[in-house]
Amino acid sequence: MRIKFGLALVTLILAGSAMLVTGARPAGSGTITGKATFTGTPPKMRPIDMSKEPYCQKLHNPPIKTQDVEAGPGDTLKDVVVYISAGDEGAATPSTPVRFDQKGCEYLPHVLTMEANQPLQIYTDDPVAHNIHPMPKLNEEWNKSQPPGAPPIDVKWDKAEFIPVKCNIHPWMHGYFVVLKTSHYGVTGDDGTYAIKNVPAGKYTLTAWQEHMGTLTQQVTVSGGEAKADFQFHALPY
Amino acid sequence: MTMSKNVKHGLMLCALGLSLAIPGIAVAQDTGAHAAGLTGRAEAGKLDYRRWCVGCHGEEGNGEGNNAQWIDPKPRDFTTALFRWRSTPTGSLPTDQDLYDTITRGVVDTFMPSWRPLTPQERVDLVAYIKTFSTKWQTQKPGTPIAIPPEPPTTIESVLRGRETFDKLQCWKCHGPEGRGDGPSAVTLTDDKGLPIRPYNFHDGTRFRCGETNQDLYKIFMTGLDGTPMPSFVDNLKPEEAWDLVHFLRTLQPHVKSQSRDLWLEYVKTHKDIKPIGADSAGQ
Amino acid sequence: MKTPYLPKWADRMIAGVPALLVLLAVMLPSPKPANAIPAFARKYGLPCSACHITWPELTNFGQVFRDNGYQLMNERDSPITRDASYFPASIRITPQWHRESANNQTIDVTPGTTEDGERKGTVTQAGFDLSGMDMWFAGTLFNNISFSVLPSSDSTATFHFENAYVRFDNIRGSRWFNLKVGKYELDLPVSEKREWTLSGNGGFYYIYHFIPANDTNIFGGIGDNQTGVELTGHSANSYTRYAISAVSSLDGGVNLAYGCTAVNTNCSTPAGRTLDYYGHFEQAFNIGNGNLGYMKVGAYGYYGFAPTYWQTTGGTTQLYGLGNKPFYRAGAEWLWYTTHWNLKGVYLHGWDSLCLANVTACNLGHVIPDTTGFQSTSWNGGFLEAEYVISPQWVLLGRYELIRMAQQGVVGAPGSLSNLDAYTFASRWNPFMFSRAGLAIQAEWSYIRSTDITNQGGAFGSTCFNPAAPCHIGSNSLFLATDFAF
Repeated sequence: MRIKFGLALVTLILAGSAMLVTGARPAGSGTITGKATFTGTPPKMRPIDMSKEPYCQKLHNPPIKTQDVEAGPGDTLKDVVVYISAGDEGAATPSTPVRFDQKGCEYLPHVLTMEANQPLQIYTDDPVAHNIHPMPKLNEEWNKSQPPGAPPIDVKWDKAEFIPVKCNIHPWMHGYFVVLKTSHYGVTGDDGTYAIKNVPAGKYTLTAWQEHMGTLTQQVTVSGGEAKADFQFHALPY
Repeated sequence: MTMSKNVKHGLMLCALGLSLAIPGIAVAQDTGAHAAGLTGRAEAGKLDYRRWCVGCHGEEGNGEGNNAQWIDPKPRDFTTALFRWRSTPTGSLPTDQDLYDTITRGVVDTFMPSWRPLTPQERVDLVAYIKTFSTKWQTQKPGTPIAIPPEPPTTIESVLRGRETFDKLQCWKCHGPEGRGDGPSAVTLTDDKGLPIRPYNFHDGTRFRCGETNQDLYKIFMTGLDGTPMPSFVDNLKPEEAWDLVHFLRTLQPHVKSQSRDLWLEYVKTHKDIKPIGADSAGQ
Repeated sequence: MKTPYLPKWADRMIAGVPALLVLLAVMLPSPKPANAIPAFARKYGLPCSACHITWPELTNFGQVFRDNGYQLMNERDSPITRDASYFPASIRITPQWHRESANNQTIDVTPGTTEDGERKGTVTQAGFDLSGMDMWFAGTLFNNISFSVLPSSDSTATFHFENAYVRFDNIRGSRWFNLKVGKYELDLPVSEKREWTLSGNGGFYYIYHFIPANDTNIFGGIGDNQTGVELTGHSANSYTRYAISAVSSLDGGVNLAYGCTAVNTNCSTPAGRTLDYYGHFEQAFNIGNGNLGYMKVGAYGYYGFAPTYWQTTGGTTQLYGLGNKPFYRAGAEWLWYTTHWNLKGVYLHGWDSLCLANVTACNLGHVIPDTTGFQSTSWNGGFLEAEYVISPQWVLLGRYELIRMAQQGVVGAPGSLSNLDAYTFASRWNPFMFSRAGLAIQAEWSYIRSTDITNQGGAFGSTCFNPAAPCHIGSNSLFLATDFAF
């Protein structure tokens, strides 16, 4: 009897450590997934006239459109940032930099997410001059030039904030640096879906942000497996 | 003997009169100010602000005084603590001396007069007072002023190198090939409040808004003008290159007597086939 | 609440001061014109308090603006920088209530007849009134060419030109050379046109107008605006200033005739074709870097001529003046400006030559006059003024002025004849302070005491009762006003 019990215990321990070793998901950690869609009529996105910068104009034929609302088939929304806004414990700041590119007089990506104090590297891939002009309210505002061939700019943002960024030389260039406190966030892709992995079990407030249509919030409970949270924005044509 | 009705009514009217004189509203503590070898205190600056500044800059220091709607360019909003004319790098607060110098010099071609007729103590007290409109002054220190190396001699080679730089960095995109503020991007420029703003017109200008010396010009593009489209070029220019650019920029100013311009006009007489600025730009 | 006992008169006085906040009042018949110009405020978007301690009195910032030729020197001074609808015009007038009272006046024992003789009495008058009106046009004609035109009326709307001039500013780019041509106020140690006390009794500086009893110098005093040319210069912050003027000996009169003064009531007396000269120099310095404000010291002098007889036709019609004799006024100033306190002291010494002091002794053409019993006259005077600036919108003032004769024109005349002492207290409150218009509620009380009669305007004009021996006229005035300008 004692030997059976002992064997069971050892098996349990071994199984437990095996699970840890293989990195299998510990019990009580899940994924949050969902889709961002809209009802109503969003504003029309207009083609961008880049004739002031002939090099960039030549690269985009047909011209790219403004990106205030990036609507996809099935009334889905791209570049919606979904993140845990409450209930999350702080995590260590990642040291891997995130990258922002200026290419063909466009910001890639249009919306870039990062955590507070995470390194950000801003590259220019164009043979024309740009200036990087982020316009935060909480963080420090600065304005730096990036002429052709300039090295990347290394910066950090120390406060969570949604920071619009623009280029003054090319007035159509608009983007966002989304600086978050949490390490649990995702951005919707072309199909409007997002996924936030490795979320510890618990109750959270989830916020979705779209640059033109504002924010939506809902509660979500994660208990292993997949928690679903869809966001439906209400669009107005202006 | 109780106060007579007359006196009571009189005092009430007096109180009404005094209450109509609303003092300024500051949100942050007085951190003091140090400039021109003096120490300024916000309490002393408050009365001076009310006499001289409130009409444009507003009781809350937000640039919304009752004259502001009729003025262009708009008065500075002190609540954002974002200042254009600094000796410190972009993204950092100016020094007290920077603010003192702006008050003393005034801002040419705007409604901000030169306040030199005020005593130095009054001016440094005003610096202390305007800092109380933003809490940033309590949480941050001003930046370290950039080092400005001594100016090298003005030679035609320096001017020509500066001209190359002006072309390569594409300053002409906003300032125009002749520095007339008519570059292709000039008309769409907006300041931080979304109001239209024009780039500096070297051709018509005599002074700059932040001074008139070569050192002042050096500082402009090496610190950038925060709150405007003008960025900082400190990461893109070595100090010698920056001085070359200063020497070139002076050739764009026919109303300012400079050695640069004299050298340039001499050079142009014997070199008729100078490549125009902006000719090599990708896609032009 | 227990309050200390107050006698009835004090109670009424105290009630009177704040009561003027809602009181509409009226002003004296012979107002002191004064200069403040909302048109400048409108042009530059600055509130009145930027240039004025309390309008119209200037701060140092306002003084620099004025010295620059009404220019801020920020490339927005030329009229072309303004919308064409901007017009450099302002008006100012002061509705008021005032009460004047003078003692030792001669009045009939029985009203309506001299049969019962005359007696000594106090004459009092009170009521609502108007001041004169100033219409002021001033500004720039072009970059560095400024101008001013000031038609000014008395309270009956009879107009004259108080000033009218063109000024060439910053000649050859130097602020040390500015040339003014026309009619203007001399660069006095303390400007009277920009003082803010307003009553006819205590609202002006007696030393700037004083002519002793029996003196018939038709010059009206350095406080009168003069016609001529003026060269001025100043340092960047106007701490160093100089002015040199050459003016016609006309006391600012037009049509080549003397202006009206208390002595020259003819108003069209031809002049002697001479020039008078005025000079003023002042230097200011910060006290302790300006935390105790700044002090100014200066000196000034006016050397002039007036005719003592005239070339005539037909025996009586005057053609032009002859026998020009000199006079001078000279003195020094000391001023101290701090944030809350302003102190001003001005000293004046006046001298009129023998023939001017006693024109009857010299009005004999080429015949050498008999001057037995007559002499030149001289006097010393000055004022000390203290202002307390409660805020840019409320200022209090106290002033004491005195004049003491040093030498009478008539040998043997009592030494104190024409001496005067003047006390003025005033409060000026602006309910609002911005850049479009101005309104001030003012209370002013003054008391002037003079020995016998002085040839002044204002409250005097009657002979002192019993002129055989010097007698003192005491005149007091209470003045409550709403002074406004647009």
